Amino acid sequence: MSSEQSVVFVIDDEPSMRASIESLLLSVGHMTQAFATTQEFVLSERPDVPGCLVLDVRLPGRSGLEFQQELARSDIRLPIVFITGHGDVAMSVTAMKAGAIEFLTKPFRDQDLLDAVHRGIEIDRGRRAESMMLAELWQRFDSLTPREREVMALVAAGQLNKQIAAELDLSEITVKVHRGQVMRKMQAKSLPDLVRFADRLAADTIKP
Amino acid sequence: MKLTSDAQDDPPFLLTTSPPGRSQERLAVCVLVVLVGPLLITAPFARVPLTNTEVLLPAYAGAVFVIELITSALLFALFSIQRSRAVLALSIGYLFSGLMVVPWALTFPGVFASLGLPDAGLQSTASIATLRRLGFPLFVLAYALLKNADPSVRSSQGSARRIILGSVAGVVTIACGLNWLIVTSDGALPRFMSDARNVSELWQYVPATAVFLYLSGLVVLWTRRRSVLDLWLMFVLCTLLIELVLLSYVSAGHRLSLGWWAGRFYGFISVSVVLLVLLSETTTLYARLARSVSAERRAREARLTAMEALSASIAHEVNQPLASMVTNADAGLRWLGKKNPELEETRAALKRIVSDGHRAGKVIEGIRTMFKKGAQERVPLNMNQLIRNVLKRNQGEAQLGRVSVEAELDEQLPLTTGNPIQLQQVVSNLVANAIDAMSSVTDRPRVLRVKSERHASGTVLVSVADSGSGLDPESRDRIFEPFFTTKSDGMGMGLMFCRSIIEAHGGRLWATDNIPQGSIFQFTLPDNEDDALPTAGRVR
Repeated sequence: MSSEQSVVFVIDDEPSMRASIESLLLSVGHMTQAFATTQEFVLSERPDVPGCLVLDVRLPGRSGLEFQQELARSDIRLPIVFITGHGDVAMSVTAMKAGAIEFLTKPFRDQDLLDAVHRGIEIDRGRRAESMMLAELWQRFDSLTPREREVMALVAAGQLNKQIAAELDLSEITVKVHRGQVMRKMQAKSLPDLVRFADRLAADTIKP
Repeated sequence: MKLTSDAQDDPPFLLTTSPPGRSQERLAVCVLVVLVGPLLITAPFARVPLTNTEVLLPAYAGAVFVIELITSALLFALFSIQRSRAVLALSIGYLFSGLMVVPWALTFPGVFASLGLPDAGLQSTASIATLRRLGFPLFVLAYALLKNADPSVRSSQGSARRIILGSVAGVVTIACGLNWLIVTSDGALPRFMSDARNVSELWQYVPATAVFLYLSGLVVLWTRRRSVLDLWLMFVLCTLLIELVLLSYVSAGHRLSLGWWAGRFYGFISVSVVLLVLLSETTTLYARLARSVSAERRAREARLTAMEALSASIAHEVNQPLASMVTNADAGLRWLGKKNPELEETRAALKRIVSDGHRAGKVIEGIRTMFKKGAQERVPLNMNQLIRNVLKRNQGEAQLGRVSVEAELDEQLPLTTGNPIQLQQVVSNLVANAIDAMSSVTDRPRVLRVKSERHASGTVLVSVADSGSGLDPESRDRIFEPFFTTKSDGMGMGLMFCRSIIEAHGGRLWATDNIPQGSIFQFTLPDNEDDALPTAGRVR
C-alpha cells in the first residue's frame, strides 16, 4: 500500500495485545517490530525508513508518557499513537500536547488504529523528506565561500547589485560574478528560489 | 450483657428502654439526700403561718400546670414511638394531674377573690387536691405494673394518634366532670376542712392513703426497675412523699404555713424532674445519634473510596484481555477477508483470543474469592497459625526458588480480629511477592523472613522481608497504586488488594528497605483486646 517501505514499532508489555496489534498491522501490509519494553526499543537496530510508534501508556517501569518526552529530548522524532486501558482526559491532553498523533482507549476500533498509523507514517515521511531537503541545502550552502555567503545574504534581503557593491566595497562586476556562483552552487533557478532557500536555512538555524 | 428477650425488639435508646448508668443512679440518690436538708431545717418552724402568701399560689399553680402538660405531651410522643401502654398510662397521669391543678388554684380560698370569682364551697379545694394526690400515684402504679407485660399486647389496634386524641379527650372530660360535680355540690362532699386554713379529722385518711400508694408504687418500681424513667419515677415518688409529710404531718395541714410552702417546693421539684430527665436524655441521645450518624457516613465514604479503587482495578484487569480479544478478532477477520485468506494467521489470532478469554476468566475468579460469601465476617484469629499455614502452602514455591524461609513468631502474640480468608490472601500475596523478588538474586543467599510481634499497644505487627533487589524510591511510592507493577507478568493489583484489606481491618500496610539488600513489607492489625471491633469506619 505504501509507495515506499515503512515500519510500525509496537511497544506493549502484554504479549497477547502485542501479538494482536502486530497481526492486525501485518494483515494490511505494514512491516512491524514489536517490543515488550522501552529499553528493548531503544537498544534495537531500527531501519532508516518512515515509521510510526504504537505505544502503550502503562508500561512496567517508565510510563509511555514519560517515554514520549524522553524520545523528544533524544531527538528521535517518531510520530506516536498512544493506546491505553484506562485513559483519562488529562492524560490524553498531555500526550496530544506533546505531539502524539492519536490517543486510543482499549478496546479500540481496528480502523481507528490503522488510520492513525497511516497518518503517522505519512507525517514521518513528510518530515523525513523535509529534513533530507534541508541537509542537502546545508551541503550546498557549505560549498559557498565566505564572500559568496555575504553576497547571498544581501541578495536574499532584496538589495540591488549596486547597493551590495557599495556595502561590501566591491565593484558591481565582482558582485555579479559572486551572485552567479551563488545561484549555481545553491542550484537556484530563479531569485525567488534563492530567497526561499535562504529563508529555510535561516529558520533551521533559529529552531534548534 | 444479655438482654431479656422482650427488650430486644425495642428501640435501644429510648428513655423507657435504656438502663440508667451508675452515675445517674448516684445523682438521683445524691439529690434526694440534699433535698432532705430543707425538710430538716424547716421542720421546727413548719407551723409558722406565712400570711398574704396567697398571691404566690397562682404562679405556683401556673408553673405546675405548664410543666405537667409539657411532660405529658413528651410522654405521649414517646408512646407514639414505642406504643407502650405503660407510657400511655403515665402520660395520662401527668395530664390529669396538670388539669386538676387549675381548679385547685381557682377554688383556693381567698386567692381569686379579688377577681370577683364566687367563693366555691369550703370543701372543693381539698376534694380536688385529694383526687389529684391519690390519682397520680395510681397512674404511676399502672405504669409500673404494665411496663413489663407490654410487648405482647403492644401492637394495639388503631393509630397512635387516635389513641392519644381519645385519651386526651377522655381525661379532659373526666377532669371537667369531676370538678363540676365538686364545685356544684359542696354540701355532699366529705368534710375535709374545718375552716379555710385548717383540716379536719377526716383529712387524715387522705395523706395516709397517699403514703400507702406512694410506698407501693416505690416497691413495684424498685422490683421491676429497668430503665432511666423507672429510676427517676422512684425519685418523683420520694419527693412526693416528702411533700406529703411536710404538708400533712409536719405542718399539720396548716395551709400557707412555712411547712406547707416547703412541701409545695418539693412538689414543684417532683413535677419538674421527669420533664428535666426527658429533655436531658433527649439531648444526650440526640448528640449520640448525630455522632454515630457522622461516623457511619465516614465509614461509608471510606468504603466507597476503597470500592472505587477496587472497581477501577477490576475494570482495568478485565478490559486488558478484552481489548486484546477485540484486536485479535479484527486482525483475524482481515486475514480471512483477503483475496487469498491467510488461514495460519487467522488460526494464530483465534488461539490468542482463546487464551485471552481464559485470562479474563481467571481475573473474574480472583475477584470472586475477594467477595466470597463471608468475606466480610470477622472472627478472632491467631496470626501465627495463619502465617504457618501460608508458609506451609508456599513451601514448594520457596524450594523451587531456592529460598530459605525463616519464621520468627512471637508466641505471646495477642489474638487479632479479622477475616481469615482475606488476611491469608494478604500474607500469601506478600510471601509470593518476596519469593518472586529474589528470583534474579545469584550473588547472595535468598532469605525470606516472616516475623510477628507485638507492636505499640493494641497492635500486632507482621513483617515479610526478602533479600531481593529491593525497590527504587520512585516505585516504592507507587506499588500500592492500582495498575502499577514491576513484574513483567504482574496483575498490578495484588498489593492494592492487600492494602485495602488491611485498611478495612483498621490496620496499615507499608514497605521499607531491608538491610543490606531487599525490601520489607509490614502491616499492623489492631489486637482483639481492643474494645471496639475493627470496622470499616477505622479506614483513614
